[in-house]
Amino acid sequence: MFIGIVFSLGYSVYLASQKIEYNWRWERVVPYIINTDDQEITAPGDGTVEVDELNHKLTLMIEGESTPFIVADYTELQVSDGDLIFEGDTLATLEQWQIGPLIEGLIVTIEISVYSLIIALVLGLVIGLMRISANPALRNMAILYIEVIRGTPLLVQIFIMYFFIGTVMDLERFTAGVIALSVFTGAYVAEIIRSGIQSIPVGQMEAARSLGMSYPKAMVYIILPQAFKRTLPPMAGQFINLIKDSSLVSVISITDLTKAGREVVSGSFAPFEVWFTVALLYLVLTSALSWAIQRLEKRLSASD
Amino acid sequence: MTDTADNIIIATDVEKYYNNGALHALKTVNTRVKRGEVVVIVGPSGSGKSTFLRTLNQLETIESGTIVIDGMDMYARGTNINKLRENVGMVFQSFNLFPHKTALENVMLAPLKVAKRQLAEVTEHARELMYKVGLADRMDNYPSQLSGGQMQRVAIARALAMRPDIMLFDEPTSALDPEMVGEVLDVMKSLAAEGMTMVVVTHEMGFAREVADRVLFMEEGALLVDASPDVFFDSPPHPRLKQFLSKIL
Repeated sequence: MFIGIVFSLGYSVYLASQKIEYNWRWERVVPYIINTDDQEITAPGDGTVEVDELNHKLTLMIEGESTPFIVADYTELQVSDGDLIFEGDTLATLEQWQIGPLIEGLIVTIEISVYSLIIALVLGLVIGLMRISANPALRNMAILYIEVIRGTPLLVQIFIMYFFIGTVMDLERFTAGVIALSVFTGAYVAEIIRSGIQSIPVGQMEAARSLGMSYPKAMVYIILPQAFKRTLPPMAGQFINLIKDSSLVSVISITDLTKAGREVVSGSFAPFEVWFTVALLYLVLTSALSWAIQRLEKRLSASD
Repeated sequence: MTDTADNIIIATDVEKYYNNGALHALKTVNTRVKRGEVVVIVGPSGSGKSTFLRTLNQLETIESGTIVIDGMDMYARGTNINKLRENVGMVFQSFNLFPHKTALENVMLAPLKVAKRQLAEVTEHARELMYKVGLADRMDNYPSQLSGGQMQRVAIARALAMRPDIMLFDEPTSALDPEMVGEVLDVMKSLAAEGMTMVVVTHEMGFAREVADRVLFMEEGALLVDASPDVFFDSPPHPRLKQFLSKIL
């Protein structure tokens, strides 16, 4: 049933794409994912070539410089011993796969997401604990933070973080992007953790305290492990949102997956194929995270 | 000073209010418990008996009065309440076992993390306690795999693991199916026979008559009767108690 519906949806998308006159050329996307073309090694300056076939080594003595340019890794030579070479000439070719810009973007997206996830988790835990603190100053600060962050758009926060705070504190764009995402996600994580802690029966804290545990010890050994388990499903949703939201940092010129996609579109003239590929790569990331959290949930359910 | 040597619990003029004074939960409660004594507190629901029990390890704070546990004034400056609680074990109506730990881990947690005893010593003591409460074959079960009576016996073992001088029981059998009440009461009886100081809030009048050295009757926050079980049950010294007993016996 489910499979049938998915197939008919896919078929109607196919029909729709036939109606608009668009030539699908998926092969154009491939080099932007993995570049299988031979790499050309070019001369950095004018000079003379010395080839040492035995040691598989090519040396270019550049005029006016004391250190020679050495190529040890190549597949096929384009020059021979004693040749006079000018800057920009091809010396040799190398048969090696290189990752394309889309994969580079994907790696940046993963980096941003992982850093933000860790910081957001720590931040959310601290703010969540402040939120339920008996101290009104801490509690109100947490409430203010959560309300301000949840009440303003992430895009605006990224701009403020980069153009205002980033300028004042001299932050790199990558750092600014990670901080903006962490601060944003941290507010939601704080609320998830607060509700998780409050869902644990009061008797658990009382039992822990009656055994002589201090409040922090009771939190660490009794309350948080139980709360953690209960907050996994909403936490998974929040972290999947984080991965998707990370696409917004492309507005401050971080070359993440989305920005890489935009650049590749203008280079390949294949917008449909590229955006479908980008979407698929995001989907791979989010489903991997989703799967990992489900595994964790299963493992933690041993005591149920 | 002989006071604190003989009496392990001394509660003097304890006053407690709920809802910003709207409810007077404890009205000038005075009592003393001797070392090794078993004191049972009975009374209708809402009489303040559980509240009073919970003030004895400061799960409830009091507005005025003093409580001295084993020579330590609970509300004096410099009293470490966590240290005091290590010496006062508590058993709850709803067990409150830690669901993410096995039975044995429940018993071992506080000695390891609070008293910081050696793992080998803690493990051995915890196993002994599990034998003592008759659950040697249930050590590696999670609470969700145990019956109510078994959970409550683990809870008793958990409280005993800190080697307390005083044990507080807050309606330990009220949440149990009738056929499981006996197994928990048996553990409590053997504990009393070993000379443990116990304060028990319960509706089990049979236990009170058989095991208690003294029985207290509370109503509407006031301590009305403090008598030996014989006097308490056979010739109730207070009309309210007479009424209460006639309803439940």
